[in-house]
Amino acid sequence: MNGSVGPMRVLVTGGSGLVGRAIERVVKKEGEEREGEEWIFLSSKEANLMSAEETRAAFEKHHPTHVIHLAAMVGGLFRNMRQNLDFWRYNVFINDNVLQAAHEFGVVKVVSCLSTCIFPDKTTYPIDETMIHNGPPHESNFGYAFAKRMIDVQNRAYFQQYGLRYTAVIPTNVFGPHDNFNIDDGHVLPGLIHKTYLAKKEGKPLQVWGSGRALRQFIYSLDLARLFLWVLREYDEVEPIILSGTRDVFDIVFLVGNGKADGQFKKTASNAKLRKYLPDFKFTPFRAAVKETCDWFVANYDAARK
Amino acid sequence: WSGSMDGSVGPMRVLVTGGSGLVGRAIERVVKEGGGREGEKWIFLSSKEANLVSAQETRAAFEKHRPTHVIHLAAMVGGLYRNMRQNLDFWRNNVHINDNVLNMSHEFGVVKVVSCLSTCVFPDKTTYPIDETMMHNGAPHDSNYGYAYAKRMIDVHNRALFQQYGRKYTAVIPTNMFGAHDNYNIEDGHVMPGLIHKTYLAKKEGKPLQVWGSGRALRQFIYSLDLARLFLWVLREYDEVEPIILSVGEEDELTVKDAVDAVVEAFGFEGEVIVSFHTNNFKFTPFKQAVKETCDWFAANYDTARK
Repeated sequence: MNGSVGPMRVLVTGGSGLVGRAIERVVKKEGEEREGEEWIFLSSKEANLMSAEETRAAFEKHHPTHVIHLAAMVGGLFRNMRQNLDFWRYNVFINDNVLQAAHEFGVVKVVSCLSTCIFPDKTTYPIDETMIHNGPPHESNFGYAFAKRMIDVQNRAYFQQYGLRYTAVIPTNVFGPHDNFNIDDGHVLPGLIHKTYLAKKEGKPLQVWGSGRALRQFIYSLDLARLFLWVLREYDEVEPIILSGTRDVFDIVFLVGNGKADGQFKKTASNAKLRKYLPDFKFTPFRAAVKETCDWFVANYDAARK
Repeated sequence: WSGSMDGSVGPMRVLVTGGSGLVGRAIERVVKEGGGREGEKWIFLSSKEANLVSAQETRAAFEKHRPTHVIHLAAMVGGLYRNMRQNLDFWRNNVHINDNVLNMSHEFGVVKVVSCLSTCVFPDKTTYPIDETMMHNGAPHDSNYGYAYAKRMIDVHNRALFQQYGRKYTAVIPTNMFGAHDNYNIEDGHVMPGLIHKTYLAKKEGKPLQVWGSGRALRQFIYSLDLARLFLWVLREYDEVEPIILSVGEEDELTVKDAVDAVVEAFGFEGEVIVSFHTNNFKFTPFKQAVKETCDWFAANYDTARK
C-alpha cells in the first residue's frame, strides 16, 4: 500500500489510441521512462476488456504494478445519441473488469481517464472536480457519461473499503497525432484538421459550422501524457483532477459540427487544482501543437483513423 | 420471443425477483387475494433458486420461466453499518444484479420490467419536497453511496433501453416501507421494523422502550400491502419510463414519535418509553436528577434569573 513495489510495471489499456500513443512517445522517446520500469501498451487486439476472462488473462500475463486505464468504447456524437445503452453497458463492463482485476492482482495505483463532457449539463462555470455528480449529463451521450462518472464512484469505494488510492484525470478537449480524425464525430480539432486538409487538397473553400463564438479549452496530447505521468507518480488523491490548459491561451472561436447538434456553448473547466500542484508546468504553445498535429496528419493520411 | 411492444402478449407470466422479501411477499399475498387475473402466472424467485449476481444463473432462470413481465425487487441490501463499510460490494454486486436482470429481460423479449428504487438514493443536499425529476441532481448520502448509485443506474439503464430499443422499462420509488416478512434487525437503521422489534423485546423483558433520535423527525411511511397494490397498478397501467414515487401524501407525513405511539398501542406496551437524542453511546443525565439541579439553581438565583 505504500507504493514500494520494486520496479514499476505499467499497463496502459487503450494503448494504441490518441493518449496512449502520446504516453508511449513521452516514455520511450523523450526520456521519461525511469530505470527498471516496464511499460506495456495494450490494445483491443490483444484483449477485449468487455470480457472479464480476457481482462484477467491480460493481467495474469503482464502482472502490472500500475495501470493507466484509457480503454473505452467511444464513438462520435451520432453513434452516442443512438446507442446510449451500448455505451453505458460496455463501458461499465470495461471499467469494472479493469478496476476489479487491478484490485485482485494487487495493483498499487490505477489512473483512469474521464472527460469534461461528462459534467452536468446545467451548471455554473467554471466547472471543478467537486461538481461531477451535481446533475444529469447532456442528453446526447448520457450512457457514456454515466459510465465514466461511475469510475469515480468505484474509485471512492475501493478507497473506502480497501484503502486503495485509485484515481482519475479529467482532460478537456484533447488533440494530437494518432487521433481519430472523423469529421462527423463532432470532435472540434481533429474534424477541423481533416476538413482543412481536404479543402486545401481539393482547392475548395473551408466550411466551418457553428456560430464561431463557442469557447473551448484544449490540451495537446503530449502535454496530457506528461501530466499523466506526474499523476501516476506523484498525485496522491482519490478525487479526480482536471487537466487543462489556461483559458487565455486556448480559447478558440470555431465550432465544428452540423446544424443538428451544435454542442454546448461553453464548458469552461477550472485548472486551479492543477495549478496548485504544478504552478510551473509549461503547456506547448497552441499554434505549435496544432502545426505538429497537422504535419503528422499530412504525413500519415492514408493510415490515419477517419 | 414473447411479446410485442404494445403489451399484448397473451397471458402474463410475471417473474418477481427478490420474491421472498418484504415487498415480494406482500405482492404474493395481494395476487392471491384477488389482485391476480385469469390466466396469469406469477413466479416468485428467491436467491436460493438463482444467484442474480451471476449472468449464467440469471439466464438459466429466464430460460426456465420465460416471463413476459418482471417485477425486479432483488438487491444486495444491508444495514447502515454494513453499507458504510462495504460501499464497493454494494455498488458492484447491485450493478451486476441489475444489469443481469435488465439485460436478460431485454434479450428474452420481456415487455415490461418494474424495478424498485428508494428515496434513500436521492441527493443528500436537496430542496423539499423531493420529486422524480431530482434523482440525479447531486451526490447521495455518503453512508451508502455504493448502494444508492447502483439503484440510480437502474433509471439510467431504463432510459437507455428506451432510447435505443423503445422498451418501456420503469421503476418505482417507495418511501419508508413496513409490514410482515421484513428484516427486523435493530441496528440496521430502518425505523419501523427496528421499533417493532425493540418494543416486542421491551414488553417481553419488562424493560423500558428506548428510542433514539428526537422523535420529531418526519417520515412518510407506506404499508407493504398498499405498496404491493400500487406495484400491480404500475405493472399494468403506468406507461412512463421515468420512475414514480409511491408514498402517502405530504399531508400524511408522521413523526417518529407518531410511529412509536402506534407501535406501543399495537403491542399494548405499558412500560416506560424513553426518547433520547441521536446516539446510543451518550449518557443522558437522569431526568429527575436534571430537574432537581435546575430547581436548586433557580432557588439560589431567584433575584437575577430572567423571568
